[in-house]
Amino acid sequence: MEAAILLKGVTKAFGKAKAVENLELTVPRGGLYGFIGPNGAGKTTSIRMIMSILFPDSGELSVLGNRSALEAKDRIGYLPEERGVYRKMRVGAFLSYMARLKGVSDTGLQKRIEQSLESVGLGGTQRKRCEELSKGMNQKVQFIAATIHQPDLLILDEPFSGLDPVSSRLLRELVLAQHQRGATILFSTHVMQHAEELCDNVVMMHQGRKVLDERVATIRRRYDPRNIRFEPLAPDADLSPLRLLPEIEKLDHGEGGYEILLVEGTDPATAMRRIVETVSPARIELSRPRLEDVFIKLVSGGLVSEEAKRELQAGLTDNTAKAATL
Amino acid sequence: MNKVFQVARREFEVTVLNKAFLIGLLIMPAMTAGVVLLIPRVFNERNFKVEGEVRIIDPTGSLTSDLRKTLEKRKDVARRAEEARQALERAPAAVRTIAANAPPAALQNALGPVPEIQLVERKPDADIQQEKAWLIAEKPEVKPLALVVVHADALKPADGKTAYGRYDLYVPPNLDDRADTEIQQSLRDALINARVRARSLDRETIDAIVQIPRVQSVTVTKGTERQTVRAFNFVLPISVAVLLFMGVMTGGQALLTSTVEEKSSRVIEVLLSAVSPMQLMAGKLLGQMAASLLVLGFYIAIGLAMLTSMSLFGLFNPWLILYILIFFVIIYLVFGSLMMAIGAAVNEMREAQGLMMPLMLILMIPWFMWMPISRDPNSLFSIVLSFVPPINTFAMLLRMASNAPPPWWQVWLSIGVGVLSVFAALWFAAKVFRIGLLMYGKPPNVATLIRWARSA
Repeated sequence: MEAAILLKGVTKAFGKAKAVENLELTVPRGGLYGFIGPNGAGKTTSIRMIMSILFPDSGELSVLGNRSALEAKDRIGYLPEERGVYRKMRVGAFLSYMARLKGVSDTGLQKRIEQSLESVGLGGTQRKRCEELSKGMNQKVQFIAATIHQPDLLILDEPFSGLDPVSSRLLRELVLAQHQRGATILFSTHVMQHAEELCDNVVMMHQGRKVLDERVATIRRRYDPRNIRFEPLAPDADLSPLRLLPEIEKLDHGEGGYEILLVEGTDPATAMRRIVETVSPARIELSRPRLEDVFIKLVSGGLVSEEAKRELQAGLTDNTAKAATL
Repeated sequence: MNKVFQVARREFEVTVLNKAFLIGLLIMPAMTAGVVLLIPRVFNERNFKVEGEVRIIDPTGSLTSDLRKTLEKRKDVARRAEEARQALERAPAAVRTIAANAPPAALQNALGPVPEIQLVERKPDADIQQEKAWLIAEKPEVKPLALVVVHADALKPADGKTAYGRYDLYVPPNLDDRADTEIQQSLRDALINARVRARSLDRETIDAIVQIPRVQSVTVTKGTERQTVRAFNFVLPISVAVLLFMGVMTGGQALLTSTVEEKSSRVIEVLLSAVSPMQLMAGKLLGQMAASLLVLGFYIAIGLAMLTSMSLFGLFNPWLILYILIFFVIIYLVFGSLMMAIGAAVNEMREAQGLMMPLMLILMIPWFMWMPISRDPNSLFSIVLSFVPPINTFAMLLRMASNAPPPWWQVWLSIGVGVLSVFAALWFAAKVFRIGLLMYGKPPNVATLIRWARSA
């Protein structure tokens, strides 16, 4: 199948700083891709190049079969990271303007705008000026502006940034609805959790370079879980017998229990059975590999200090967004 | 093209369907009407009556009676009207036309109320210092206007001299200029009468001898001759320059503001997902140009209506309108695109001030060259400036609106130079616009803008 987005050896530098280096990327039609990485990884620059807002210094790209997004702008929806509205413009007029710029004809446009506003709970706001709406409401308006022309490709740059939990959940549903409609979706986020929840595929960026491009399921398989979360039935239970088990490499006190690291190559099922037999559990579960951990492992090659790990983690989480997914 | 049209349409609608635009559009004619209609009413002499007492010390013994006759004569309404009529005959045609169209009462209104001056003769040997004290007396019965001290040789030169003596005039504090003028005019008239009589001559004969009506000069150009209207020749070039300036400022300022707003409100990247920077720039330029042309058209229409109402339309070359529009488009595209580039480069209006300064200075140049070009439209200075972009547009229009228009080949060469400057400005602005739109942080200086243009 023809790729919706194809990047070959794309490089972009600003002065001496290389924002994106030799990026290879293929997003198939109908895919739901997450572009992840900490701030400054090169995600926005890559997206701007895909949108032909910036142009690469070298390499080739193709968007919806065209050599430039300029030739397919009417088939692309884009929600930039730095987004806004005309504050003095009325909501309906703003959406009409954006729709016309995207080549939507006037026939049925008002009805489409009305329906779109209804679908995000903004019915009756057409005559209101954008400045009269709250920030969250304006973000919904911006999402409608990006999708009013029912694009084949939807590119969202940090779409969840600054959203409250309810708006964040709504936006997730809207993105999935667009995907179900058949749109190819590429969104960037520095919050790994969002990518875990939404994507089929993730592309990890670090310092302008791609460090991972895999299906989420494959990542989970590949980065085999070696961590077990364990909580003893008796809070004062003696755990020293666990340390003697040959399957266990490390036992640490963790959040609300203990973190058990298995010896490499150990079958988790066997190890869990041995642990339960040794100390009665209140809770025992296999800890799923988080993209955050995968990322840290990939960029550090395992040789990274705890401090550096904490710094990377800080860049990959967002307290607001975290709260949104609870 | 449709996207450019959509951007232009929004830009035009947002600009025109705005209270500030309508107020801005109407403020100029309203202010002009205010100056023409209101200010004369506020300061009109007809509201002021010269009333009070003038004392005279007259050693000649005969000037006082002449002055009394003169003051009486100036009270005669019919004579005042006749004198005004004679003065009008000597006035420029435009003034005569306005006076002819005015209602009959207008002349009397313009002349104001009849003065009421009482003349009191003092003894020739009166003490001048004591007489002066009268001028500053507290609560006088009649308002003191002036003390006139006539020199002994005021009517006949002293022996061995040819020059006549004069008079001294002492006035109280805060005497209105109009009263001073009335008294001096009366004294002048009385002195002439007295001197003429002293020489046994006839005043009316002398008046007839010195009376030379103002002649309307005729401007001779190749193929045509037309009456010269000096005020028109003076006002037309500067009016054309003002029109051009206003059109450019209206459009340029709006482009700067809207671009800064789009950038600061972060709507710019949303727009760039739908249109290319060039489409956005072209649309904005065209939309604002349409709004500026509307302003220009409105003012041209008012100007033409005024010319028609004053029967001066025949003096105006209608082709000038076409050239105003051509030169406007040229200067608008140059300044508009550069203003938009500045708007794209900065984050907020405050930061734009420094970058705008060179453009504003260039726009000021025409005001300094207005007089030299209007006085000598075909001097080397005027011709050279007609080909120096971007001020060539102003220079050429000033020349074209003068009473000695340049040859057509110079006009079209100047237009050609203007078109080249448009391409240069668009090239520069497009590069800066494309880079600047997504640049945030420290605002660039002019050198940075030039570097952007060279690197883009």
